[in-house]
Amino acid sequence: MSETRTPLLRVRDLSVTFGHRRKVSAVAGVSFDIYEGETLGLVGESGCGKSTTGRALMRIVEPSAGSIELEGVDITKKKGSALRQLRTRMQMIFQDPISSLNPRRRVRDIVAEPLDCWKSVEGDERLALVNDLLTKVGIDPEVYGNRYARQFSGGQCQRISIARSLAMRPKLLICDEMVSALDVSVQAQILNLLEDLKNEYGLTLLFIAHDLAVVKNVSDRVAVMYLGKICEIGPADTLYATPEHPYTKFLLGAALEADPDAPEHREVLAGEPPSPLNPPSGCRFRTRCPYATDKCQNEEPALEEIVPGHQVACHYPLSISLERA
Amino acid sequence: MSDAPLLAVSDLHTTFLTPHGPLPAVGGVSFELGSNETLGIVGESGSGKTVLSRTVMGLQARTNVEISGSVRLHDFEVVGASERAKRKIWGTEVAMVFQDPMTSLNPVLRVGKQIDEILRVRLGMNRAEAKARAIELLDLVGISSPEERYRVYPGELSGGMRQRVVIATALAGSPKLLLADEPTTGLDVTIQAQILNLLDDIKERLAMSVVLVTHDLGVVATRTSRIIVMYAGRIVETGSTRDVFYRHRMPYTRALLESSPKVSSPAHTRLRAIPGRPPNLLDLPAGCAFAPRCPYATAQCHSERPELRESDEAGHAFACWNPLPVTQGASA
Repeated sequence: MSETRTPLLRVRDLSVTFGHRRKVSAVAGVSFDIYEGETLGLVGESGCGKSTTGRALMRIVEPSAGSIELEGVDITKKKGSALRQLRTRMQMIFQDPISSLNPRRRVRDIVAEPLDCWKSVEGDERLALVNDLLTKVGIDPEVYGNRYARQFSGGQCQRISIARSLAMRPKLLICDEMVSALDVSVQAQILNLLEDLKNEYGLTLLFIAHDLAVVKNVSDRVAVMYLGKICEIGPADTLYATPEHPYTKFLLGAALEADPDAPEHREVLAGEPPSPLNPPSGCRFRTRCPYATDKCQNEEPALEEIVPGHQVACHYPLSISLERA
Repeated sequence: MSDAPLLAVSDLHTTFLTPHGPLPAVGGVSFELGSNETLGIVGESGSGKTVLSRTVMGLQARTNVEISGSVRLHDFEVVGASERAKRKIWGTEVAMVFQDPMTSLNPVLRVGKQIDEILRVRLGMNRAEAKARAIELLDLVGISSPEERYRVYPGELSGGMRQRVVIATALAGSPKLLLADEPTTGLDVTIQAQILNLLDDIKERLAMSVVLVTHDLGVVATRTSRIIVMYAGRIVETGSTRDVFYRHRMPYTRALLESSPKVSSPAHTRLRAIPGRPPNLLDLPAGCAFAPRCPYATAQCHSERPELRESDEAGHAFACWNPLPVTQGASA
């Protein structure tokens, strides 16, 4: 990972606040980069702000502060046609494949919708492009192209969503829990398909999910979120093997491995995440952290690089506190 | 109540009569469960695992359903029993925990009242006894300050807390068998671990048997002694948890294990996906239901349905014409 590489997407201090009187900061100052051609996994429990982050990047929800730069251009201030133009560069795939598609439209028209909006290609060229996209995602356009979306299973609908999202040749694809609703056998098909398409189309991915094994499988780097903040970002294999933030360690410990001989982690995190309406002072994880001290209560830890490419927001990163011990 | 198993299911069929024809959701399932045992039932959606557990519980609606075979809970035959008779065993012999803790609880009744109900109606306790016992139960399932939580409404609790309340309600009548259908599916991983540990702990303390129904192989890997793998309404493999994980013979079991991503595998490990998707139960193939997706399928697999047959290990059986060779388990 050379230092000179410019990120495709650069997010700085992104915040999203909901509500009028009682404000909830769903995302409270998040910074990360996504480099061209890589997959950044974003993992965390429900309510941690991972989906809101993804939606804010697409400007589906408006960021209340911070900047989002796509290819060096700040997109937080873009409006109207400039914003529309921008959205062809980034596309999103959602969790529920069935409700993402209009049940009363034909598959071919669903996939062609972005092309039709922009009138970029028409006639035979349009048809050829749509057929090509459907073939790429494993749906035979001759057999299924004229069927209605309601006639398809969840896995097939997700394939159609992927084809649609690729129609404008986006640079960045944001996948929000895209395989969570699928059975494992179908989930594996979609994950493999995503890897293939990523290579073929040179895509950059932000892969948001709660399932740790799924995130690791597709990601080059992984960011862990807790209560609106990023606790840790690092290369997937390193982060899973040697987590630095106590939350990451407990999260990984709670993940159930499909292996009776897997080491058992009975050291389970007690309690539940506090309400984002009233987040704890200092480090947001300190109320559940067994290692928390007064410093954690008074001072908020910044996200800092402890080894090149591995950033942690903790006063006492695990490897360093081990050395001291 | 002698040597008879706690639960004996034999040749159970649950068929839904749909406008498109009969749908065999459970197509001939037999198994037994002893005391103080945890059994995992694993399958993908549509495999019949939920219908099976509801039929065992006797909860299946009567209209447009045909149920045949037998479900014996000790001496009680569930299939064909009247609602009134079943009410005698619900709660005290067998209880169930469902996936969605919000819809399992009445949103307009205080949490305590919902636990009290079974104690007063079924166990004949008076108001004060019931309240004391309900608070004890809330404490047992790990709810802090149970006296205060006794008075809250379900909506004031988080998903994990609600599931604890549901478990407390299920335990109120001291059942001998607890059926848990996807008890942790909507919950976060850290909460899931808490609930599974709780179920394990309670099973030991109260000497119950637990049936854990799930799609997640991770849930059953370390918490069960035996596993049943279901596909298209039938048992395709069953055995001790270790046999099923390490010495499986049915290609579907292997495919299921290999298609799930693992936390311990390196990033970008290619998953061995199963082509196709589970069959339409209205139009099941004549032979093995997995044959259309199976890499080893032969002509026999497409025409004749394999029955469960015993493997070399005791209690390990599989339904396959061309079983995988016996291995001593890659990781064993």
